[in-house]
Amino acid sequence: MKDILTLGEILQARGVSRRGFLKYCSATASLLALPPALVPQIANALEQARRPSVIWLSFQECTGCTESLTRSSSPTVEGLIFDSISLDYHHTLQAAAGEAAEAARHAAMEENKGNYLVLVDGSIPLGNPGYSTIAGMSNLDMLMETVEGAAAVVAIGSCAAFGGIPGANPNPTGAVSVRDLVKDKPVINVPGCPPIPMVITGVLAQFLTFGQLPELDRHGRPMAFFGQTIHDRCYRRPFYEQGKFAETFDDEGARKGWCLFKLGCKGPITYNACATMKWNDGTSFPIEAGHPCLGCSEPGFWDKGGFYNAVSTGDVGSGKAFAGAAVAGVAMGAAAAAMARARQKKTMKEA
Amino acid sequence: MDLLEFARGPALQVALYIFIAGSLWRVFGVLMLQRKPDHSEARKSGGMGGALKVIYTRAFTAPAFKKATIYPKVLGYALHVGFFAVVFLFIPHVVFFKGLFGVSWPGLPNNVIYFIGVITVGLGIAILIRRLTNPVLKLISNFDDYFSWFVTLLPLVTGLIIPIRFGIRYETLLAIHILSIALLLIWFPFGKLAHTYFVFISRGTTGATLERRGAKT
Amino acid sequence: MSTTEFDLESKRLHIKEPETRFDRQGDLTDDERVTKAMAHFAKNFGTTAAAYLDACVHCGMCAEACHYYVATGDPKYTPIWKLEPFKQAYKREAGPLAPLFRMLGLKKKVTIEQLEEWQHLLYDSCTVCGRCSLICPMGIDIAALIGMARHGMFKAGLIPHELHAVAERAHVDGSPLGVTPKSFEDRVEWMGDEHDVKMNIDQDQADVLAVMSSIEIQKYPEAMAATAKILNAMGESWTFRTDGFEATNFGMMSGNTDWQKETSMRIIDAAIKVGAKMVLLPECGHAYMALRWMGANIYGKPLPFKVQHVSEYLADALNSGKLKVKNVDKSVAFHDPCQVSRRGGATQAPRDILKHLGVDHREMENGGDYNWCCGGGGGVVTINRANELRYKVFELKMEQVEATEADALLSSCANCRQTFDDGQEHFDWKYTAESLLELVAENLEEDDA
Repeated sequence: MKDILTLGEILQARGVSRRGFLKYCSATASLLALPPALVPQIANALEQARRPSVIWLSFQECTGCTESLTRSSSPTVEGLIFDSISLDYHHTLQAAAGEAAEAARHAAMEENKGNYLVLVDGSIPLGNPGYSTIAGMSNLDMLMETVEGAAAVVAIGSCAAFGGIPGANPNPTGAVSVRDLVKDKPVINVPGCPPIPMVITGVLAQFLTFGQLPELDRHGRPMAFFGQTIHDRCYRRPFYEQGKFAETFDDEGARKGWCLFKLGCKGPITYNACATMKWNDGTSFPIEAGHPCLGCSEPGFWDKGGFYNAVSTGDVGSGKAFAGAAVAGVAMGAAAAAMARARQKKTMKEA
Repeated sequence: MDLLEFARGPALQVALYIFIAGSLWRVFGVLMLQRKPDHSEARKSGGMGGALKVIYTRAFTAPAFKKATIYPKVLGYALHVGFFAVVFLFIPHVVFFKGLFGVSWPGLPNNVIYFIGVITVGLGIAILIRRLTNPVLKLISNFDDYFSWFVTLLPLVTGLIIPIRFGIRYETLLAIHILSIALLLIWFPFGKLAHTYFVFISRGTTGATLERRGAKT
Repeated sequence: MSTTEFDLESKRLHIKEPETRFDRQGDLTDDERVTKAMAHFAKNFGTTAAAYLDACVHCGMCAEACHYYVATGDPKYTPIWKLEPFKQAYKREAGPLAPLFRMLGLKKKVTIEQLEEWQHLLYDSCTVCGRCSLICPMGIDIAALIGMARHGMFKAGLIPHELHAVAERAHVDGSPLGVTPKSFEDRVEWMGDEHDVKMNIDQDQADVLAVMSSIEIQKYPEAMAATAKILNAMGESWTFRTDGFEATNFGMMSGNTDWQKETSMRIIDAAIKVGAKMVLLPECGHAYMALRWMGANIYGKPLPFKVQHVSEYLADALNSGKLKVKNVDKSVAFHDPCQVSRRGGATQAPRDILKHLGVDHREMENGGDYNWCCGGGGGVVTINRANELRYKVFELKMEQVEATEADALLSSCANCRQTFDDGQEHFDWKYTAESLLELVAENLEEDDA
């Protein structure tokens, strides 16, 4: 069912003051590193936004991304905005089920052709279409069918963005990411396992305001949230530089809040906003809680050498391979010496 | 596979294999040549004792030669010390070695390492200038000398760029750094960097032979 | 009548500086020379040479130890550079990476031009003194490698012709200076008469076989009398042998291992024949290296007798009290012969002797084991075209000795003495090197005359 109210009208109806609304727009602007002069434009765009149709497809996922998004400690403006989009299809949140749900999806696709957003969480198995089906339809087919009339696709969570845990070694289902399949529509990756809620809404807000993709990095992630590494923004960074590290969990260093590099923190190679925006409305983030960063917003983070192995430990091969190299070396040395001796004899004879 | 995964994975692996195989090849290729016994009557016992003695003492210049060689000696030693400090006392490196060998040791704060690193690069440049301008060194130097200098300094320089960043992504800089180490490892056994092994073998040989004669070592 | 056009404009009587010439022996083709050189380089490429040649890091410190570089400032005298063709041959033929170098053409074959150019570096400007071996931080025994490289040069017929001449003479006549068994015997008898010393010659049995260097026999024959006097005073059973009298080894110096063996075996055979317990080597440097340290390896097994340099013998004799000397009231500087002290390990012996003589021994700066070479060893003193260079490095010696302000300079190597004599004449110098042996012999405290 189409709703004709604009976002501004909805917010007003729910008692959000103009001031509160503008405050949100300012916060969003600063979050997106946009100049204050654009705040009126953001406000205007959001105000006028007709609740866009959003179709949320869930494939091989754990539902954690949805949980993250909906788990707010208190009602927030972000939450309200999210509520105020027309979420026309979402397995976990929708009331409908079965054929009615699928009918809703098709209706939304038709009525908003070319204008609806597709949000995807979970990876898509290519190994066997039967690994993950909805209403008898394989994830692949549903994805390709649904994105055909979409304005843009947002891959939410590391599974949709990069293949995630299903895609981890040995990837038994042949899981792939949305970007691997959708080539002719704009795809924004919002990875994380799960992503920070405010990141999701921030991306949506930006898209709604400007109607274009935000600046994306090489992995299709919005630069605004994924442009810095955790390491470069981590409050424990001075300890890294001073050489103060926790060696084990709950040792003196750990209790003093020292750097978790030696415990496997992937902060240096992980791009996300955790160190600045944090989680649970800025309560904390893994490192602050004493656990090294898993690097969950990076492609293939499950297979990056182990969560508790430091970034600088490489994957340098097996002991057997080294032994083999050693044997080969000795053999070549012996062979060279034998050749030298033989040549010695030969030149002596010729002379 | 992106550049960093390649550098830390296959590139480093292959480099390590070549390093191990090449080093053993170089050393055994020398050790397994002909060896002749010494039948002369020994004045003192030589052998392993003499070898170990000269391995140690030859690190120090005799007073008769000190004045003439103090500059290159100080430069060379300082470079080695700086290099070893950076390689073995920078904590991310310590962690790398722990992953490789299972043993760990304390390190130095990062800023101290950066400082040492910069000094070491300066020493490296001084050494190169000396090699290019000193008449003896100009005459006897070859490709090996210059290329070995390059592959030794490159990891230092690329490592120092990482904290400075120059606006380049960390992963890219780290990958380049690791690739430069791979290059060093691959070249190591084949050029003059193998003096790491030969310093023991050569000094030891002289020690064993000359100590036995009671000759000056 | 035709008139000849004379050039009256350009400089007349203009003598062109001769280029450093290289000498050739025999009529081998260039290719044959290279082949021979390679073969006789190669026969030395065992673990020892390999360890050294692979260890060089081109630090250039060896130049600072070499009197040729220090005196001239010419970088071509860098000791390891003198070995460049030898090193190149090793890396191409016998090093661990040799197959790689050959396959990829990374090390060229040594050329005849290189060998010719290097003759000057391997012979004129190296006395095998071993100072470079001491300075090398990698512990490379550069001096030993020079000896090996000379093997190739000799067989290629590319050594300085004077050195070849004396070496050949030693091979043919048994002495580099043409001393024959007969002339040796004559001179021994002459010295015995002249100095009233009992001489033993060609005895069938003796505990000590005394050998002399041709330089002493011809130039400093008093050394023979001094030797005899001391052996008699010690009550030794000793003899000279006309079938084994030559201590010098020009085969070793020139690089001919066959002739080296031949010379050494003469002494060894003679010593065995008389059942000697000890071979007493004279005041000669390389004679000590040749027999004391290389002799047994040439023989193939341990020598059945001890070998001592006369300075060692004297030191033992004086230290044990068996021999007594009078006090000599003068100040002396001592020139340590490279092959006896630094290379040979007998540095302390002359110092003991000087202590017993009661002289004021003024140790030279850079003396003892680090002594500057006289500049005449290793065959260099025979090479005429090298004279100018030899005088240049001799200036270092003169400076070193003069700094002691001693009354006299002593040494225990006849070749050093010869070199000092020549230097004294050339520079009209206050000093020359006198014989330590002769000083002892002159000052024996004897119970009997």
